[in-house]
Amino acid sequence: MKVTVEQIGCAHEEELIVRCYDPGADWVGQVTEAASGQRTVCGWQEDTLHRLKLSQIFYFEVVDDRSFVYTQAEVFEAKEKLYEFERLCTGSVLFRCSKSMILNAEKIDYVRPSLSGRFEAVLSNGEQVVVSRKYVADLKRMLGVLES
Amino acid sequence: MKNIMLWVRRYVTVYGIIMLCTFFMCLLFNPASELPVITFFGRIMVFTLIGLLSLVVYYSKEELTVKAWWVRTVLHLLLLEAVLLPLAHHWGFWHSGPDIVIYAGFILLAKALWLLVDYGISIKTAAQINERIRRNRLEKRIGKE
Repeated sequence: MKVTVEQIGCAHEEELIVRCYDPGADWVGQVTEAASGQRTVCGWQEDTLHRLKLSQIFYFEVVDDRSFVYTQAEVFEAKEKLYEFERLCTGSVLFRCSKSMILNAEKIDYVRPSLSGRFEAVLSNGEQVVVSRKYVADLKRMLGVLES
Repeated sequence: MKNIMLWVRRYVTVYGIIMLCTFFMCLLFNPASELPVITFFGRIMVFTLIGLLSLVVYYSKEELTVKAWWVRTVLHLLLLEAVLLPLAHHWGFWHSGPDIVIYAGFILLAKALWLLVDYGISIKTAAQINERIRRNRLEKRIGKE
């Protein structure tokens, strides 16, 4: 297989094009997954703008019509609406886990069931978030428990 | 399609739970009773439909907190008792004072069973997810090495 890496200037957007015989091949999935981790989102902290890679993000939450991005130990305010962020995360390891949250599946340490029919996901930084039953199938599909 | 399947599965589960409760209720309190099969099954189907329609009390635009979920669970139980008891009386499933207590107790039992079945499914799902997370992590570690 031919591999080409081209260096571009900061004025251009970084881009990855995969030319392949089978878009469903394992290596294509691995490449797109790795590339999606390099996608970025802008987050504000006080008056400073930060560029956050998707792979850094633990979850994205909307509270009282304001959007927040949570990383390992920091919180940033974002401009994106939930649906915009959801669109941005297509093909990545982030998935909609409840009515107001998008969660990074790779940051989940383990999940535990609750009597209310929902699940509590314990993240690698110790935080706990709710995964609705409605969206748990997406998590299963993402992890490969369910066939897509 | 996915939603339809979910509701069909719920309908079958609730129908099964009501049938199970009815079986034990008849066995314990009225073993000699004879039920007109088709009418009886039809009525249980109506009970199931009411049970599912009453789930509307859980509807919310926001994600429910644990406390809100418990409040709505109690409300749901009260709603089930308020609708099913008069209907069951109308269809002759209970007649006297002590009957109503037993019948109300069985509705409570059915609701508890419903929650337990749901919880059992959740335990199985969580175990599958955790096993997969563990395996993925192991594969990643081996890949790095």
